[in-house]
Amino acid sequence: MKRLYDLAFGRAGDKGNIANLSVIARSPEAYQEIKAKLTADKVKAYLGDLVKGEVVRYEMDNIEALNFVLYDALDGGGTRSLRIDGLGKSLAGILLYMPWED
Amino acid sequence: MVYRIGSAQGFYGDDVTRALPMILGEHVDVVCFEALAELTLAILQKDRLKDPSRGYTFDLNIIANKILPEAFKRKIPLITNGGGLNPLGAAEMVRQTAEKLGLHGVKIAAVTGDDVTFKLADLKVAGEPLTHLETGDPLDLDSGGFLVNANVYLGAAPIVEALQAGADIVITGRVADPALYLAPLIAHYGWAWDDWDRLASGIVCGHLLECTGQVVGGNSLAVIDEIDPADLPHLGYPIAHVEADGRFIITKTPGMPGIVNVNTVKEQLLYEVHDPANYITPDVVANFTTLTLEDVGENQVRVCGVTGKPRPEKLKLNIGRVEGYMRELIFTIGCPEAWRKVEQMKRMIEKTWEGLPIQRVEYHYLGINSLFGSVAELPPDPLEVIVRVMFTAPDEGTLKTAVRRMMTNGLSGPAGMSISGTTISGDARIILGLFPTLVGREHIMPQIDYMVV
Repeated sequence: MKRLYDLAFGRAGDKGNIANLSVIARSPEAYQEIKAKLTADKVKAYLGDLVKGEVVRYEMDNIEALNFVLYDALDGGGTRSLRIDGLGKSLAGILLYMPWED
Repeated sequence: MVYRIGSAQGFYGDDVTRALPMILGEHVDVVCFEALAELTLAILQKDRLKDPSRGYTFDLNIIANKILPEAFKRKIPLITNGGGLNPLGAAEMVRQTAEKLGLHGVKIAAVTGDDVTFKLADLKVAGEPLTHLETGDPLDLDSGGFLVNANVYLGAAPIVEALQAGADIVITGRVADPALYLAPLIAHYGWAWDDWDRLASGIVCGHLLECTGQVVGGNSLAVIDEIDPADLPHLGYPIAHVEADGRFIITKTPGMPGIVNVNTVKEQLLYEVHDPANYITPDVVANFTTLTLEDVGENQVRVCGVTGKPRPEKLKLNIGRVEGYMRELIFTIGCPEAWRKVEQMKRMIEKTWEGLPIQRVEYHYLGINSLFGSVAELPPDPLEVIVRVMFTAPDEGTLKTAVRRMMTNGLSGPAGMSISGTTISGDARIILGLFPTLVGREHIMPQIDYMVV
């Protein structure tokens, strides 16, 4: 199965109860495809219960990357969360494993 | 001539001795140590409550004993926010250590003024609204839990002043992470406080350096095929070569393993970033969307074109309060009928804890859905399920009682269920509520104290 990971890599970060996921394209063509198809709504729907708040997308044409900011996404954040990954370190990985249709 | 900044700490517990190869090889002009995550000050507060002379990071003992002697010999200043809640106490420890080691003439600077724990009521009286940055709720000191700490993110100014006064080691409490790295650039090059593009360039440089291993191949998908796993515990921590106009090259400690390329830099550039066109710090708002990255040699990436906008009017203040305690229990359940037995266990827990002031109980299945919740599909009839039970209460005693009561069910529970000894002997963890807000600069007066050995 083709996945977003075939087109991009990335890393998750946290600030309080907000997570951010970078999606960094592996090629200029991949960036155009991701930019066209990977909307904030699509990311929000895919992550389901993990993200209680909104998802905001930022574009960085200069480095061919997108940055998704996930509000209320860490069950209160690293100092409060009952999740085993309260800092959300693994969240970039699950987004990159999103099945990708050409 | 470029100015060279080494980064040898990215969290409390990082291997600060990674500074030694930078210093012994004279590959750097300054070394910075960033020690404070959001939770760290709460951990340090626990230490300080037990002993008022503590409240700083233990790593500073290693820095004082092993790194300062070599750095002082070569006139390479050290900068750290590892003073945590007690920069003065940390400075006193460093002074005593330096004296013991015979480091005559060492000048130690302690920066304070970030701690407003006992000034919150005064700030409200002074007209500061102190509303929550994310929710907009006003701060209510009478509810929301026991106040642990309230610290403002300071900018680079007091560190610049201390360096210009000849400090060999500058110890601070809460400072915006990348400002630790911006400060020596301002001190060295004399950049003006409204030279927004250069200041922003220094902030991006600091942001790329501040997580040590993360820009040289650690925590990286970009170089997963290239990096030798045996090298991961020995990565050469990053160094930046910064020019007077703000441009810089990110590289790593020469002669040590690791990979720096455009992709590792991209990964770190967006780490913990929200709007990349407006990265807010106390000294400047940096714009990451104008910069360019270029591989200019082996393990050398040039960063150009960072732009900046005027600094924000207010400073960020983070208030930590203890909301309660949490505890983890891990049970293993095997086939047959694993899911049915999981349901038995849940029901048993519910009845066992009846009447206790338990606030939340959550169940996660390790290896099945503990990371990804509803994104993960549950297998119909697994051979094994490891259940992680997380539960919370206002006090630690309730959690202890809950565990003890649960243990009395040892021979009455679901068939073949087990619990590990380390789980039973585990400790409760603090639930720290963070309340991020803003405060006017006019209320915050950083202070510098010097000690000379």
